[in-house]
Amino acid sequence: MKRRVRSQNLAGAQAWLLHRPHPTVQALQRQLAAIGLMVEQCWPDLPAAALGADFIFFDADQGDDAQFPWAPGAAPMPMIALIGSEAPGRIEWALNAGADAQLLKPVGDGGAFSALLTARATFDLRQALSAQIADLQQRLDQRQTVVRAVTMLMGLGRTEDEAYAQLRQMAMAWRISFEAAALRIVEAGRGPAAGKVGP
Amino acid sequence: MKRQIDLGLLYSRQGTYALISQACRVGALAAMAEVNADPSLDICFTPVERDPGGNIDLYGPLCEEILRDSSARHVVGCVTSWSRKEVIPTLERASGTLWYAVPYEGFEASDRVVYTHACPNQHLLPLLAWTFANFGRRGYLTGSNYIWGWEMNRLARETLDAAGGETLGERYLPLGSVEVDRIIEEIRVTRPDFVLNSLIGPSQYAFLERYRQLGLEDAHFRAETCPVLSCNLTECELPAIGAAAEGLIAAGPYFRDSAGQGFGQGFGSSHEASAHSAVWMLARLLAGRPGAENLPLSALLALPAAAGLGIDAKTHHTTLPVLIAQVRGGQFRVVQDFGRIAGDPYRSAGVDAMPTAPRLRVVT
Repeated sequence: MKRRVRSQNLAGAQAWLLHRPHPTVQALQRQLAAIGLMVEQCWPDLPAAALGADFIFFDADQGDDAQFPWAPGAAPMPMIALIGSEAPGRIEWALNAGADAQLLKPVGDGGAFSALLTARATFDLRQALSAQIADLQQRLDQRQTVVRAVTMLMGLGRTEDEAYAQLRQMAMAWRISFEAAALRIVEAGRGPAAGKVGP
Repeated sequence: MKRQIDLGLLYSRQGTYALISQACRVGALAAMAEVNADPSLDICFTPVERDPGGNIDLYGPLCEEILRDSSARHVVGCVTSWSRKEVIPTLERASGTLWYAVPYEGFEASDRVVYTHACPNQHLLPLLAWTFANFGRRGYLTGSNYIWGWEMNRLARETLDAAGGETLGERYLPLGSVEVDRIIEEIRVTRPDFVLNSLIGPSQYAFLERYRQLGLEDAHFRAETCPVLSCNLTECELPAIGAAAEGLIAAGPYFRDSAGQGFGQGFGSSHEASAHSAVWMLARLLAGRPGAENLPLSALLALPAAAGLGIDAKTHHTTLPVLIAQVRGGQFRVVQDFGRIAGDPYRSAGVDAMPTAPRLRVVT
């Protein structure tokens, strides 16, 4: 899968730095300001206002789950871990907290821009995949509905292949998914107009 | 009594981009001589010069040598982005500053560098806006195979996409290669409205010569209908290009024709003007402030004197004239003046901030 990185639309974005006051925070603030972001710093907890942030940078060295106003891994925006100690336990925690990218401490003259782009691309990809998985999951859950709809159509004297084809045509005519069309037929079949479904 | 201040110079006097680095060097040395001769200034620059000779691996060590063996904390130098990236770690360690005086591809704002030439919102984007209005939106992109060419062409592709235009081809040549036949053949077949040329040195000279021949064979490939665009071509390379330069269109902060439009006058090229301006900006920051030569760049740019110089304290980029010029009769003639625009390396002002050029036909 080839990804196109969006280098625009960072201007005016809001970043929260969840880190105690430190030269690393200053260096990061300088980089982010040069890129055009608005920056807020806080410690030890992210305030509710951070829910509207576009990016969160968080300290992986001293962080814990209670700092975030959401469940671990459920951040509604891209998150970037600021890693000082590369201990496996800390990296594992940062990943579970939802790090989409990382930046090694001490932060110096560079790294913020690539971390922002990487985090956003990773976050976007994860969101897109989650949506796709939810959709597929729903369709899997509806397998039984599809079988019922096909069976009902076969009850009207069609072969299995014909019933399947008819269901597909209905879905296309109604501009809904195959599974949604099946659900409509099953529900109609239970109602007073049983046997009279069709586009 | 003048204070002696060591000032590093790090330009290659040979190699593929020698003409550009020589132009920068001339500008920097001229400005140093002017500062030294100015009785109203209490400072006197002593050049501490090292010549990497076009060898990328020598930039880091030679920059380190300047900062170690002299009292210089400021270095004027580097032409390629690659060499600039090579010296930044050295500058960080030694608390040094690089004054970088050539156009580059943007997306950098080092705490250790002042960028005194144009970045894309001051060269490529105005140039494309002007070209779209006057020639069309079907472009062929070519460049030397390193970061300058890659990033310029990526931005051009993005801008073409956003404008509903078309990228007809994109091809790179290794630094120094003169194998331009394939590029010429692709241009002949795709018949674009313009060619964006981010080739450097001998590759560029060979390409322009072959393109001139193509124009002789087929009238479409002449400046009236399919011009070649450049964002780093200045007068300093025209002698190496000769007749093939005729009709070329370039963006830059200074052309000889534009003298007096905010970048001084009497310079051979914008490379020369930009290096000259870098040394003068430094002189104005240091003059009358004993010890200022040892301040880190951030402290220097926080001085009230810095505000008037046009250096942005956040990005270290400068506000520059933005001009489009075309080679006519062997000289660049300004065809469009966009006024002064602040350097915006991350395009944080957004795409909407780009000025749009009035529709002007090129008169030839």
